[in-house]
Amino acid sequence: MAPRVANLGRLLAGLLVVLVVYLAGVQVIWGPQLADQAGNPRLALAAERVRWGRILDRRLGVLADSQELGGRQVRRYPFGDLFAHVLGYRSPRYGLAGVEARYDPALLGLPARDPWEALQQAFGGPPRGNDLVLTVDTAVQQAAARALAGRRGAIVVLDPRTGAVLGLVSRPSFDPAAVDARWDAIARDPSSPLLDRATQGQYPPGSSFKPIVLAAALASGRATSDTVLDCPAETTVAGAVIGNFDHERYGRLTLRQAFAVSCNTAFVQLGGMLGADAIVRMARAFGLGRPPQFDLPTAAGFVPAARSLGPRGTAQISFGQGSLLVTPLQMALVAATIANHGVMMRPFLLSQVRGPDGRILSAYAQRGSREVLPAALAAQIAQDMVDVVRSGTGTAAQIPGVPVAGKTGTAQNPHGPTHAWFIAFAPADRPSVAAAVLMENAGAGGAIAAPAARQVIAAALAAQQAEGRP
Amino acid sequence: MGAALLGALGLATVHLALYRSEPWTPVAAGALALGGFLVVHGALCAMRSEADPLLLPIAAGLSAVSLVMIYRVRPEYLLRQAAWVALGLAALLVVLGTLGDLRWVRRYAYLCAAAGMALLALTVTLGLERNGARQWLPLGPLTLEPGEVVKLLLVAFFAGVLDDTYRLLTLPGPRRWRAELARLGPMLAVCLFALLLLVFQRDLGLALLYYGVFLAMLYVATGRLDYVGVGLAAFAAGAALCYHLFAHVRVRVDVWLDPWADPSGRGYQIVQGLYSLASGGVLGAGLGAGHPELVPAAHTDMIFPTIGEELGAVGTFCTVALYLLFVGRMFRVATRSRGTLEVLVAAGLAASLGLQAFIILGGSTRLIPLTGIPAPFLTYGGSAAMTNFAALGLLLAISSRGPAGGTPPAAAVRHGAAGR
Repeated sequence: MAPRVANLGRLLAGLLVVLVVYLAGVQVIWGPQLADQAGNPRLALAAERVRWGRILDRRLGVLADSQELGGRQVRRYPFGDLFAHVLGYRSPRYGLAGVEARYDPALLGLPARDPWEALQQAFGGPPRGNDLVLTVDTAVQQAAARALAGRRGAIVVLDPRTGAVLGLVSRPSFDPAAVDARWDAIARDPSSPLLDRATQGQYPPGSSFKPIVLAAALASGRATSDTVLDCPAETTVAGAVIGNFDHERYGRLTLRQAFAVSCNTAFVQLGGMLGADAIVRMARAFGLGRPPQFDLPTAAGFVPAARSLGPRGTAQISFGQGSLLVTPLQMALVAATIANHGVMMRPFLLSQVRGPDGRILSAYAQRGSREVLPAALAAQIAQDMVDVVRSGTGTAAQIPGVPVAGKTGTAQNPHGPTHAWFIAFAPADRPSVAAAVLMENAGAGGAIAAPAARQVIAAALAAQQAEGRP
Repeated sequence: MGAALLGALGLATVHLALYRSEPWTPVAAGALALGGFLVVHGALCAMRSEADPLLLPIAAGLSAVSLVMIYRVRPEYLLRQAAWVALGLAALLVVLGTLGDLRWVRRYAYLCAAAGMALLALTVTLGLERNGARQWLPLGPLTLEPGEVVKLLLVAFFAGVLDDTYRLLTLPGPRRWRAELARLGPMLAVCLFALLLLVFQRDLGLALLYYGVFLAMLYVATGRLDYVGVGLAAFAAGAALCYHLFAHVRVRVDVWLDPWADPSGRGYQIVQGLYSLASGGVLGAGLGAGHPELVPAAHTDMIFPTIGEELGAVGTFCTVALYLLFVGRMFRVATRSRGTLEVLVAAGLAASLGLQAFIILGGSTRLIPLTGIPAPFLTYGGSAAMTNFAALGLLLAISSRGPAGGTPPAAAVRHGAAGR
């Protein structure tokens, strides 16, 4: 009997040894990975213990900070709905969005995986997260919000030299501090205040797409700014009638003049000379049809495949209609690329991470670049855009003493009146500000969007002058 | 000695870390209960010097961990659990003094079975339901967990019957199935009855434990691997049948296979237990620094993951090591004891405590499907404490009767390696 007892003992001991081996796996080998899963409630509890870092604008004005209120940490947003789509929100029920979500680990001061650091944190009282310094300028943001004047739409303002986002406004907006209290009202609002129209609203570009067609034409060598085109009030391509804004007719124009007055029929003729392939390739070179790399989630828009376009489709994209879709951020990047001698700077929002003691932990002057056009070609397009503001459809964007380059767009869409577009940069000779303005169903770009762009660009230039680096 | 000191230190740590403003009384009570181990150990050394010298200290170690963790998770239960440990030690002494001579097992084997089955039947009909299982009997102000008591009764019953029949079952020559079946009949009937009741009252862990103990004792007594084989096959068939027949069995298995299919519903407990274990890492968060409040039943079924979170892999390894040592010593007692009956009782107790520890530790860590039964000496609960200490008393009694007279079965015992 005894050997059998011993066997039984060995069996049970073996089971317990299996348990130890298994525990080594769960706790030691896969432990950290498992513990880091988003479902682990300890992560949220850790976030509660840390005093979240602040979010500051480029002049270190406070955009978001935390306050102790009844033993709980409450996030405050001093500017209310002004920065909602940039900052996002921080809600125990609805999660995180915007910069709060993108840089949550930095705001929490994570990771403290180093045991020594963890020990210091354990004895250093409630730890504080890092502060974030953003590229946005509150004055620019306020000007942009004012310029939209209660309309649905978006404005994106960039420094074309670096890609720094100076302002990013989407309207209608919401108060990030009220997300918990008013979620249902905000989420169900038919005007979709939660949607960031600047980075994720997708619209037909209309004539604001013409700088890209112009670039394709000049790059192809088949046309120059002096190529003469016909500008009748309307033209028929493959059975489709295409007309000019207000049925204007100009007779025979040079390409430069056709661009300045935004003649659709002339661009349809130009598109026919170039072919769909050249236009589509240039659009893709400018990053359309792909989500831009950015600190916030971005939409791709849509650029049709050249193969899929017949004569009619080619005619439509020649003046920015058809199936083309773009976001305001993408169009701001188009303006900024032309302004920056054909080099597209990657857009970014985060300029510095600062420790709780104010020490700068990391800083970014730019986040990468890509050449889209030869500098000479960009300069030529910029010159033609200056004409748009000086004597063409964009005269409402003129700023006394500052040469402004721009392009209007009045985009037909299935949702009602036309969307008003204006893309611009200034000063045209040494650009330091580029912007895209979109106002949904607001009418004509030259009449509605161009004055808004003027206000925003003027404010951005003034802010840069005040900062001492015009 | 070390265990008592360590336990007192642990209690003090938890108190200082978490309940600084509360009175020290529960801590003192806990320390007192652990001090009780010292007294009993001293008495044992003086009066029964042949008794196994390690069993009680190991139990003290497990009890120390238990009291510390219960204080950590449910401070209001510490006083009660300390009282149970003290009562358990008293029960141990009583068992040691009165039931040490095992002839009662032979005489009252069937009475034990009848009492056990009656208890189970009572539980099914009158029992209180908690966490979806009917496992408790109201007993005045207390509630009795009959499953634990029945565990001892069943060991006694199997031992008594097997002691009577094992010779016939191991006769050389051709097998006489009908006669053997008649001999096994009562045990099979009791087993079947118990399992049916348990499966219906959803106490699957206990069913597994009883059946495992039965097979283990049958193997020890007869050495008949064909019985074990048939038993295991029957288990597999029964398990498959239950899986198809009972939704609650299916849920247990499905949750075990993929707890993340429904992490906030059915899989909640096991998923939280896994997060708890994983968050502990090697060294643990430290006593009082984890989040056992996130894990349902952290002082009972899920006490082991809580140890893992606060004391880390070091804590869980040490706990399993204590069980390993404990199992080893128990089987050592079994291999060294004098008569067949002693061997059977000791092996039965060893198998039941060892298997029980594996079922709940493995279950709470998702090594096997989770079924709630108490971890011996670790989980909060009075019935379990009393029964386990009584079992310990029996084992100590058996070991103190000394190794080896000249009776035939004991001669064979000498060759057995001490179980590890």
